[in-house]
Amino acid sequence: MSSSDSSSSSSVDDPNPNPKPLDNQFESLNLEQESESTIIQNDDGEGQQDQESSLNGSLNVNRNNHEQDDRIDGGHVTSVLWRRTNSEVEVDGPSSPSSSGYAGERGSSGASEDDEIHEVANHGVIDGVFDSQAAWLPGKRHVDEDDASISWRKRKKHFFILSHSGKPIYSRYGDEHKLAGFSATLQAIISFVENGYMDELGDRIKLVRAGKHQVVFLVKGPIYLVCISCTEEPYESLRGQLELIYGQMILILTKAVNRCFEKNPKFDMTPLLGGTDVVFSSLIHSFSWNPATFLHAYTCLPLAYGTRQAAGAILQDVADSGVLFAILMCKHKVVSLVGAQKASLHPDDMLLLSNFIMSSESFRTSESFSPICLPRYNPVAFLYAYVHYLDVDTYLMLLTTSSDAFYHLKDCRIRIETVLLKSNVLSEVQRSMLDGGMHVEDLPGDLLPRSGSASHLGQHQQPTDSPGRFREPFVGIGGPAGLWHFIYRSIYLDQYVSSEFSAPINSPRQQKRLYRAYQKLYASMHDKGNGPHKTQFRRDENYVLLCWVTPDFELYTAFDPLADKGLAIKTCNRVCQWVKDVENEIFLLGASPFSW
Amino acid sequence: MFVGRSTGRLGGLNNSESGGVADAKNLRVKLVLLGDSGVGKSCIVLRFVRGQFDPTSKVTIGASFLSQTIALQDSTTVKFEIWDTAGQERYAALAPLYYRGAAVAVIVYDITSPETFNKAQYWVKELQKHGSADIVMALVGNKADLNEKREVPTQDGIDYAEKNGMFFIETSAKTADNINQLFELFEGEEQSVRQKLLTHWLSSKLGSCRGKVVKEHFIAPFHWRT
Repeated sequence: MSSSDSSSSSSVDDPNPNPKPLDNQFESLNLEQESESTIIQNDDGEGQQDQESSLNGSLNVNRNNHEQDDRIDGGHVTSVLWRRTNSEVEVDGPSSPSSSGYAGERGSSGASEDDEIHEVANHGVIDGVFDSQAAWLPGKRHVDEDDASISWRKRKKHFFILSHSGKPIYSRYGDEHKLAGFSATLQAIISFVENGYMDELGDRIKLVRAGKHQVVFLVKGPIYLVCISCTEEPYESLRGQLELIYGQMILILTKAVNRCFEKNPKFDMTPLLGGTDVVFSSLIHSFSWNPATFLHAYTCLPLAYGTRQAAGAILQDVADSGVLFAILMCKHKVVSLVGAQKASLHPDDMLLLSNFIMSSESFRTSESFSPICLPRYNPVAFLYAYVHYLDVDTYLMLLTTSSDAFYHLKDCRIRIETVLLKSNVLSEVQRSMLDGGMHVEDLPGDLLPRSGSASHLGQHQQPTDSPGRFREPFVGIGGPAGLWHFIYRSIYLDQYVSSEFSAPINSPRQQKRLYRAYQKLYASMHDKGNGPHKTQFRRDENYVLLCWVTPDFELYTAFDPLADKGLAIKTCNRVCQWVKDVENEIFLLGASPFSW
Repeated sequence: MFVGRSTGRLGGLNNSESGGVADAKNLRVKLVLLGDSGVGKSCIVLRFVRGQFDPTSKVTIGASFLSQTIALQDSTTVKFEIWDTAGQERYAALAPLYYRGAAVAVIVYDITSPETFNKAQYWVKELQKHGSADIVMALVGNKADLNEKREVPTQDGIDYAEKNGMFFIETSAKTADNINQLFELFEGEEQSVRQKLLTHWLSSKLGSCRGKVVKEHFIAPFHWRT
């Protein structure tokens, strides 16, 4: 976190030296607009937004450029609507369930009940399972379906990859080969628009809205990606998900696959992706539980500063011996990582790489040496990844450009493993997995002196008063002032930290609903069409959501729907202070390869 | 970048690109498994190395590396470094990375699938062209327990192996009874050093599997021709 060197002229941008500014921003509005629109826009943000984009890699820039292109139908209007209709008094009736992001959630028809079961099975049935990946069954399901199946048509979110000749490459549900006709239809829609249906050349279809369904298109050379969704996620989010799916495909094949289409436009790509269904379905699943998929940032496993330093030192050691990237991860969280000089690793690449590794069971069996491509690093070339699981959740990835390096990397791994064992890093990692990270219940009080940051994370006690929480879900529970959850994203570090889920956000479904709400917030805060927003306060029947964006960080918080606004704002400042206090433990600081 | 450390050692042995002997007492042999996806290469190697069988299918990515050291009767040890390659088409171009310098290649097909037998022949030709000149090859017809679905006659495998100077075995639990006799016969033969190593290794592994595997396919008659 380098908030102190904020280059913004506005003093309200930097909360950390002075946690008051957020209150200031709201003060006047509280007076004028007590129960009216509570959207706060700060129009001086245009330049800052640009600056942020450049600091944060190219992703936001690209997206925003795309957004200005033509769209069919009013996807644009929808996202605007969402922002404008919310207020403390107005309950936006039909779109209210959508704040959960899940249209079929209320189980309106018999057929969607089938979906209900399906979704529950996906995300675990045990309430209070914090790790919503736990109960998810890997692999593709419903392979027996095709576009004639009623169940297939009722699925809430489809993803397709097809070739420009209309050949199916991947479908989330159903058998690709049986979906050839459907693919051809999608292809026809895309090429109809491309081939001069409109006046100018180069028109691309982006979005079709049909009732509550959105059909989002993404064209990547000879590869077409399509999402059909009735989850009411914003267009930008769905498009971002298609980008990730494309990236995952590039990670497996590199962009060299385009050459196959140059040689033979009718090339059938499915055999090339043989056995990777599980990788894509795992990625698609992560869209509903992993905030990294829309934040474009990664998260670290909380560890004592010295522990992470020890891990980083040994990784640096091997990086100096010719390893391009050395990454130690525990599930989807980074323990430490280093890169060779001038090599930088994009958070999206990390997401795709860890998804690839974690979803492919064979990596757990033995050490592996595999070609992989990092789409953000170099989409046309393979790197070679040495992968080894040090324990059931912790795995080491050593990436190199040399196809001959296996034995060297194996030696490196042995050295690393020895050091990690000797310095107890691995046992600390295990402990951290059990303890979890930041719990909103532990949010330090305003006036309490902070006696060493370790105490905030390291001594978490399971709350003994939790049984009462289930009985009275609408009184002040969770953290102070009704704080239920937060995500803090550091712009400079490309990292985020998310609080652990606690009552009442217990079930995977509630967690998914909250992430969808955050995702909407994120999309609206980064929508250039309406100017960048600095803060947003939104109250609906599910939550109070308060978002605060500065050049240094973004804070997304969820409160009890009855939370007091003034207190919520104060609490946000306390969260920022807390994050700052423990940044040594929750972030990977210092010599990072993220030198943009 | 890694010159000197890796190039020499990616070879089958410490100091020979294709050989079988590192020093007199401690031998190191590089072995590679090739074949179409889904024929059971990983199952075979995990059975060899760990005595495990996992019926759930786990698609191999790139290649997995496993090693197994066995002790021979004359107190020499042989360390097998096994590359279990992915059968997927997208990895075919990378196969030389794994088979280069291998002393032993085990080429696996599924007896219920003629395509995989064709693919096995492709790998044999590929190795004859680009592998070490004196590589020892074994052709393995896996899933012999699915005899009712058999589409590749045993004789086809034998004939092809014979023509190409390969070992041949069909693996399946159902015919495990024949293993001992076949191995005894096998061990009685005059062998070159490397073939002897292979025989020892295969027999010890196959022999140790006998009786453990009841339901699942693995291990069986062992024919070989040179």
